[in-house]
Amino acid sequence: MKKLFLSLLATILFSTLSIAQNRALPSVDVITVTEERFNITDLENNGKPIVISFWATWCKPCKEELNTIAEVYEDWQDETGVKLVAISIDDSKTKAKVVPYVNASEWDYEVYIDKNGDLKRAMGISTVPHTFLLNSKKEIVWQHKGYVDGDEDELFEQIKKLAR
Amino acid sequence: MKNIITLFSFILIITSCDVVEGPYEIDTGDVTATDTNTYVKKILIEDFTGHTCQNCPAAARELEAIHDIYGDQIIGMALHVSKTFARPYASSQAPNYQYDFRTKWGKEWDDLFGISGIGLPGGMINRIGYPNEHRLGKDEWLARVISELEKEVDFGIRITTNMTENEAVITINTEILNNINGDYNLVVCLSESNIINWQKDGSEDVENYEHNHALRSLLSDENLSNSSNYATADNIEQTISVNLNTLEQFNINYSQNTAELGNGNAGEWNASNMSVIAYIYDNTNQEILQVEEAHLNN
Amino acid sequence: MFKKITYTFIVSFLALNSFAQNNSGEIHGDFDLNMQSYQEDKLIGAKAADEIILNNAYLNINYTKGDFTAGLRYESYLNALMDFDDSYKGNGIPFRYASYTIDGLEVTVGNYYEQVGSGLIFRSYENKGLGADNAMDGIRLKYSPLKGIYLKSFIGKSRTYFTYADGIIRGADAEVNLNEALNLESKTKIIIGQGFVSRFQADINPKFKLPQNVAAYSTRLNIINGGWNYSGEYAIKLNDPVGSLTTEVNNYANGNALMSNLTYSKRGFGIVVEMHRVDHMEFRSERAQEKQYIINYIPTLTKQHTYTLLALYPSATQTEGEFGTQIDVFYKIKKGSLLGGKYGTKIIFNYSRINALNGGSSFLNDNRKHNPMFISTKGEELYYKDINLEIYKKINKKIRVTGVIAKQSYNKDVLEGKTPGTYGIVESTIAIADISYKIKKGHTVRIELQELLADGGEGSWSMGLAEYTISPHWFFAVQDMYNWGNHDVSKQLHYLNVNCGFLKGANRIAIGYGKKRAGIFCVGGVCKEVPSSNGFSLTISSSF
Repeated sequence: MKKLFLSLLATILFSTLSIAQNRALPSVDVITVTEERFNITDLENNGKPIVISFWATWCKPCKEELNTIAEVYEDWQDETGVKLVAISIDDSKTKAKVVPYVNASEWDYEVYIDKNGDLKRAMGISTVPHTFLLNSKKEIVWQHKGYVDGDEDELFEQIKKLAR
Repeated sequence: MKNIITLFSFILIITSCDVVEGPYEIDTGDVTATDTNTYVKKILIEDFTGHTCQNCPAAARELEAIHDIYGDQIIGMALHVSKTFARPYASSQAPNYQYDFRTKWGKEWDDLFGISGIGLPGGMINRIGYPNEHRLGKDEWLARVISELEKEVDFGIRITTNMTENEAVITINTEILNNINGDYNLVVCLSESNIINWQKDGSEDVENYEHNHALRSLLSDENLSNSSNYATADNIEQTISVNLNTLEQFNINYSQNTAELGNGNAGEWNASNMSVIAYIYDNTNQEILQVEEAHLNN
Repeated sequence: MFKKITYTFIVSFLALNSFAQNNSGEIHGDFDLNMQSYQEDKLIGAKAADEIILNNAYLNINYTKGDFTAGLRYESYLNALMDFDDSYKGNGIPFRYASYTIDGLEVTVGNYYEQVGSGLIFRSYENKGLGADNAMDGIRLKYSPLKGIYLKSFIGKSRTYFTYADGIIRGADAEVNLNEALNLESKTKIIIGQGFVSRFQADINPKFKLPQNVAAYSTRLNIINGGWNYSGEYAIKLNDPVGSLTTEVNNYANGNALMSNLTYSKRGFGIVVEMHRVDHMEFRSERAQEKQYIINYIPTLTKQHTYTLLALYPSATQTEGEFGTQIDVFYKIKKGSLLGGKYGTKIIFNYSRINALNGGSSFLNDNRKHNPMFISTKGEELYYKDINLEIYKKINKKIRVTGVIAKQSYNKDVLEGKTPGTYGIVESTIAIADISYKIKKGHTVRIELQELLADGGEGSWSMGLAEYTISPHWFFAVQDMYNWGNHDVSKQLHYLNVNCGFLKGANRIAIGYGKKRAGIFCVGGVCKEVPSSNGFSLTISSSF
């Protein structure tokens, strides 16, 4: 058992080394704010950068991150054409609060809900907030766990690099 | 084609439901083994409990109900464990919950098998399923008892006791019923029933609750024999001499000096309510293969 | 035997793939490690661990190539942390799966997670923080035959620690988006769904007739129009007696649950009104009444609090019977207005109240029959009540303030499973001030001051937290909880804690030292008891 597992691990490490490419989005369905199904690979921004931020209505740093970016979102869009997609991992306990919270906060992001954590698991997320930056080919080129005051500046630096 | 597959599996699944009508209780008839000369498979149900555990009497009742159906094939042992559920109350709250039922071996087995760590009540049926599936909630006991009763009997145990004053001489005769080999231990314990004392039962504080088969003492836990090969009709005898006063004092000292929040109130044993429980377990996986019970004072 | 084949298959598949030329397969995963040391501390009741350090670790690996995905998870408990059940022991690969989509039919074999509707009759999910994982092992099919119609069916066994429960669980779900299916151009969207789950377990009970196939149905309706959204779900579970030999324990009554919520929102304002009624609705993968077998999910109808003292006495759904209501209001006072100030002010109001059902939950056996009233709030035993108001205001470019006041009523006997009459209802009043100050670019200090005033339970508490963060990599925090109001003077203790961490990209490392209070940690409707502890903690998490 152990031998098999070790050889599996070795093969994986070798494979990851030999596959030096950026990661694509997994083909998983989430739901829109009007309860329709949406496959995450269908995200579009005409080749411009996309930021995907996983959050939850009960996660304070997530809300801080998204509220702070909301203040400068218009400027970011003017300068780079970036689109921010906020994916909520709220389950049926707090799902009803997602849309009212988003609207009351006056966010202009594209919001989706990952009901049972399928997308969260497919993308290897264990804690929120977890933010990803996608390039024009919708590949993940940068990611960041957690949020502290000022992290939005680093995110914007990364977006600008792509927009060049 | 895919339409048909999914719709078909769909419809099939939806048809799977049962509704039973009352009366729900059925006549059990007699399921006990009747031949008293041959050895039958007996089961040890270890019920981990505590006198301030309000859900525990339900488990004790379950044990009694299983005993009612299968008779002498079911042998119960109650182990009072944990600080939360078995420690005696402070003397300022006397006479409520002053007794300390806990024993050194109850705690050792609780720590080894991780019973109260998950919650009380909890128990084991012949310690089957160690190390991952041995702890069973009371609703799971019956199913495992039924599957255990179907197993073959490898050992037959006969207990004889001789009591004078506070001294008891206990003789255990183990007869081998099949050619087997393995590493087995023979355990001999003393338990006491009909102890009237406090117990929380659901939302009530019951002053005169009848505590049964509470473990009092572990007398011996030794290798069954030097060799690991056993042949049919072999007979192994072990004799133990004990002094009840000494054993009682040991428990009192344990409660006073070692048990968490103990108060030394662990005595007042009644020999006429005590039984000897002997069982054989497999040293490699803890499973109990045979158990027997006999009154101490015949 | 089956395990060996699975692993050999995965290893050789990956090995072959890593040598392929135009390989578009990808391997990704994540790693989590949580290690703690336990030293004895008699004052707070913390026990030392024999092993000194306890450790939980997880490694997820997923392989994707086109429409095919496969993966596994390695879990290690050497030994499990003290707040985890003892049954989590050793190492293993308890999660492995392969999934393939062809022409819209998605087939998954092996382990999977699934939810029917909102989870009232079935939810298989994982939450590592709680030690909850009831993954299914079997086969799942998903298919959309026509636009707007979504079908899924599954069969399998439910995971319990490192093994699987006895019952065989079968489920099916159909959801129809009427607007998509019928090509309606209406502004009002309607979605209906019907789910079904049944469990098979043999009846070997010699004393009672038990149903071998226990079924549960749930119907749901969702109506959306502009800023309005109504969502309702009704579930029933047919006879599901526990299978005890004691007559009073076997309850043949049908269980039911109703969830109904209405929300309205527009820019700057949102309101959520929810209710639920639960009656004998715990559904398990086996007949025994043990929490590790629960396969449905009835979330607690209360706010998920993040501030420590607001979550000191958390509520948990009483699936045997409860009736609850909850209201949330979100409002942003416009910037420039009098109360709004320069940046606007946010107000969040929440109210929730949960009480028992009239006369207890539904019951049916040969001797007794009871069906509680549908709605009854006056005179029923209160389980939980929570009124709270949160105000957030950005004062200037450097200072942001959040203030919270709350009043909670907590029925400690019922919610913690203690003997009725032992503790009664704990009333607490809570006030919180959370101020963050930006020293300079990237450097921020945040201070939290919390106060809980109560007479019952453990009495009053104070909590102070100071956190210093340096973007984008560092954080440092010091926290102290002080139980100054405890009636037992020897328990008026400080729980001091220091934490620091480093984050870079997808990696996070945090080290902490200090005392943790014994308590209940709840997420959703699931709670776990956490014992008090004293020692070091180390957490590492990473994705690749």
